[in-house]
Amino acid sequence: MLIGAAGCGGTPGEEKQSTAEKPAADVQTDGFEKLGPVTLNVISGEGSGGPREAIKKLTEQFEAKYPNVTVKVGFRDTASWFKQAKLVAASENPPEVFAGNQGFQVDGELVKAGLILPLDEYAKAYGWNDSFTEETLQQFKWSEDGKTFGEGKLWGVAQSGQSTGVFANMAKLRAAGVDPDSLKTFDDFDAALAKLREQLPEDEPVIALGNKDQYGAIHMWGMVQGAYTPAQEMRDWIFHKDGATFDTPGNVKSLAKIKEWADKGYLGPGDSFNARNDAEAAEAFGKGEGALMLGGNWNASIAKDGLGKDAAFFDMPPGESGDTVAIGSASLPMHISTKAENPDLAAAYIDFITGPTAAPALVDTQQVPAATDGTAEPGDPLGQEVKAGWDKLVEDGGLTLYPDWSSPTMLQTMGQTFQELLAGRIPPEEVVSKTQADWDKYHQELAEG
Amino acid sequence: MASRVGAPAPPARAQRAGGAVELPQLRVRSRAPGEPRRVAYLYLAPAFLFYVVFAFVPLAYTAWLSFFDWDGLTVGTWTGLDNYDAILSDPGIRDSFVHAFELIVFYALLPVVLGLVLAAVIANGRVRGVTFFRAVLFLPQTIATVVVAIAWVWIYAPRGPLNEVLDAVGLDAVSRGWLGDFTYALPALGLVGTWVMFGLCLVLFLAGMQKIPQTLYEAARVDGAGRVREFFAVTLPGLRGELAVALTLTTIMALRTFDLIYVSTAGGPGTSTTVPSVLVYQNAFVNGRVGLAAAVAVVLTALIFAVAFAITRLVDRDPGR
Repeated sequence: MLIGAAGCGGTPGEEKQSTAEKPAADVQTDGFEKLGPVTLNVISGEGSGGPREAIKKLTEQFEAKYPNVTVKVGFRDTASWFKQAKLVAASENPPEVFAGNQGFQVDGELVKAGLILPLDEYAKAYGWNDSFTEETLQQFKWSEDGKTFGEGKLWGVAQSGQSTGVFANMAKLRAAGVDPDSLKTFDDFDAALAKLREQLPEDEPVIALGNKDQYGAIHMWGMVQGAYTPAQEMRDWIFHKDGATFDTPGNVKSLAKIKEWADKGYLGPGDSFNARNDAEAAEAFGKGEGALMLGGNWNASIAKDGLGKDAAFFDMPPGESGDTVAIGSASLPMHISTKAENPDLAAAYIDFITGPTAAPALVDTQQVPAATDGTAEPGDPLGQEVKAGWDKLVEDGGLTLYPDWSSPTMLQTMGQTFQELLAGRIPPEEVVSKTQADWDKYHQELAEG
Repeated sequence: MASRVGAPAPPARAQRAGGAVELPQLRVRSRAPGEPRRVAYLYLAPAFLFYVVFAFVPLAYTAWLSFFDWDGLTVGTWTGLDNYDAILSDPGIRDSFVHAFELIVFYALLPVVLGLVLAAVIANGRVRGVTFFRAVLFLPQTIATVVVAIAWVWIYAPRGPLNEVLDAVGLDAVSRGWLGDFTYALPALGLVGTWVMFGLCLVLFLAGMQKIPQTLYEAARVDGAGRVREFFAVTLPGLRGELAVALTLTTIMALRTFDLIYVSTAGGPGTSTTVPSVLVYQNAFVNGRVGLAAAVAVVLTALIFAVAFAITRLVDRDPGR
């Protein structure tokens, strides 16, 4: 398609260059009734669980607020959306509003190619700079050439705080005599895993992991890494600060630790976790497989639907530093296409589903609103635990963000090498060196301009 | 791609018919009897035009792109042969071609051998319900590959039917998440290919056997040939054309396979099931390395062409010609 559509000869990409039209300084935040019947096309990258539910609910509320507006939301599975996003954004008729992903693989490319609008004027109009913390907004800031990440204009905002932590099946923990409250340090947690291994049937994993999409193991490792490495080191590396490196003793140690878990059978027999993806693992955990699941809080509603009141969530207990550290960030940013006919309406929709108005729908689905000025409090225990987990990470400055943001190819590089590590085909040192080589290569590209 | 055995006959007949209507003595100087007429190119033109627009131009453009470093979005930069250099020097890309050749064993060799053996058995003995078996064995060919992939992902799942059966017969040590295993994922996918391709080969061979003159078998029997000897002396040479077709089709499928792998393993675990077509996809659409993807696609196309050409040359060669 991409190849067939363009004519022969010429430098590829030349004909597509267009300067992004910037929204006028006097952006409209209301009066959309005057537009008459109008359709807003949206694509969300939240294909499952609570996040999908919340977007559906909020969209209905938005349509009720503006009866002349029809919002068509298409949901895509997160991992496959990352692969489609750039293509869809560059197509003739892109959706007005669509999800991106922080980092150089998706957002950096969207900004560089001029496919999305800067949102600073809307941020002013809607007060996003007060609603969201500086740490959250930083994830959506880019220089206009897409080369500097974390500074510059604002290109998106997001709905929720998504962190990774420990889901527990309390029935199994009780049966094994493990009390989560007694797990004060990472070493306590590690010891509890051994205890659970003894208690569970041999072919049942202690930790339900799904790594077919190649990110499940990275998320699990992130909270182990947090026990050995300060979060700031990781953030500097992701934002491509000069001199940042992945090659640290803490990273080697934490990678060796997850390999040790695989060898001890904590992750189930053989490489079977490579045969299913993250959402499938969450389903299996909800059906009672494994005592723990180390992953994203976006799976909370799946765990709750399956395990009911036996579902619990807590942060990974800290290492020697005493700081709680894990992978986590704001959820996928919502962008406005450069080709949007009604950018003001698109911005109103984004504000509605991410701003304080979104809080009730988010907490109802066991999510943590990214906007800090929402007033809804979670009513169910799991929702409260998820929120407490997020709050503690924010308080400790322990959100490392996602390592795959650091280059367009990093998700693939780390995804593959992590699978090779867990299968015992390469040592932790080689994961580190290959990951850093990918980073160095892209760092060079950024420097060369 | 149709059977070469039947191909020469119709043109011969057409030429005779054409010659009879016209006055041969007036045409002798412009062309010998039976020589093709130029007007034939006119008949070819519509199909040729389609071929140029939908096959040739995209191919040429892909080749053109392979000389660029292009992310698919912004303006690309000319890099000459750098992308081809990367194909030669990157062990990951080289491995992907090795994987594709491993798949040929499962997609082409196994189905052809199995198809031959079973066709011989069916043709020789009196098997009841041949039509039924033929239809059932051909069925996988008619199912969309994505559906095939999803069905087999389920069969190979850690707690799927295959492992249940293995556990039930006491082979717990063997059962595993087949598609998540570095050693077994590629053969497991290959066997799916065998399953899909085997019916096609069988049907081709059964059809081919029907046109082998019965007299040849009788002659072989008079000469005292047994079943095995008969197979190698009469059946196999008689199926040369069908063998070429079967091998060409299945080998091309093996080299270009994408959907089965994308749906079931996406090239993982690690890179153990990554084949060139998956690399093309990953680089073009995920990693923003369109030039490299185009270069891999060009090399893959050239390879498929070479292999298909070699097969027709080696197998479909009538020794009597």
